Amino acid sequence: MNRNVEVCHRADAIAVAQARVESLVLEYQTKLARYVRRMVGDAEAALDLTQEVFLSAYRMLQADPSRELNAGWLYRAATNAAISFLRRRKILRMVPLDREIDRSTWRVDERSAASVDLQAALARLAPEQSASLLLTSYAGYSSSEAAAILGTTSDAVRQRVCRAMRVLRSIMKEDME
Amino acid sequence: MTSRSDCTTAERLAGAIAVGEASESERDAYRGHLAGCQRCLHDLGGEREIERVIGAVTRARNEERWEPDLRSQLARRPRPRHAWMWGAALAAVIALIVGVRGAEKPVPVAPAHAISAQEARSLVALGTQIAPHREGRAESLAVGATTLSTAFELSLDERGIPVRCTITKSSGVADLDQSVCRAAMHAHYSPKRGQP
Repeated sequence: MNRNVEVCHRADAIAVAQARVESLVLEYQTKLARYVRRMVGDAEAALDLTQEVFLSAYRMLQADPSRELNAGWLYRAATNAAISFLRRRKILRMVPLDREIDRSTWRVDERSAASVDLQAALARLAPEQSASLLLTSYAGYSSSEAAAILGTTSDAVRQRVCRAMRVLRSIMKEDME
Repeated sequence: MTSRSDCTTAERLAGAIAVGEASESERDAYRGHLAGCQRCLHDLGGEREIERVIGAVTRARNEERWEPDLRSQLARRPRPRHAWMWGAALAAVIALIVGVRGAEKPVPVAPAHAISAQEARSLVALGTQIAPHREGRAESLAVGATTLSTAFELSLDERGIPVRCTITKSSGVADLDQSVCRAAMHAHYSPKRGQP
């Protein structure tokens, strides 16, 4: 009898977790996948990573249905997933310091000047700098919100944004010349 | 003469301007620093320049049209009556997908037994766009044991439509084995994007 009750509770928890994750997917899948695509420069990898993020969310909610999972949590998980991916890729390709800077390998469809310049800059930046620039100017978070997502201070975020902006500016200048 | 720490402060001020959070006094401080620091003026530029550069980021964002859909066709299938059994069946399907994907890429993937039936259902609900890479010929794909130790072999034709499912290792529960095969046969395996 107790086992039946336990099974019912488990089924409830699963249903609740599924419903909440589904609503998170509907609301954030595009924003989050685009953010991850910018981080890793590859749409296909971004899809896989974004999917992993929602799967983690599901696991968390299944374990604790009352847990509060908001956009900040999703972006934090997505950032960590993207950074791990970039590190793994760097090790696999034995790329010395920079990220992949060959533009032909990007899988970001938009080819406007702004889009290409941004992706070129992101490819040259440390992942934490990319994340700071994207979370603020691209995803619309304040520096303190981005700092909470990245586990750092808002001063550090502002400084990273500045350094990221410097790289972007130099690329924009190269294009002008 | 400006010190290195002045330039670090200027970077933070430039960052605050970039994210649109600088107060008037911070903007004054930044202008004051630039007036005495040629290097920062050259590297970072004035306020207008910062806003112009950041404008490229927002422009790039506004131009994006990519709208991925993480929900698969399977998510729109009716909810099963025996959730646990279908969960196990879907775990097998996911094991297949993960297994095939693993075979494609040199990067190791999580072993099939690491995915529980519920997680598998979630993965399916979230939509799995992972699909086997095919060369336009029928092929058989061996799948490892699932959480319930059911193994099966699924044959797909070149369109990705399952044509045959054979249980290679029974779980000992005939109904479950059948459910696994039924779910695997009804799943959609869409061709990898850009591939035939």
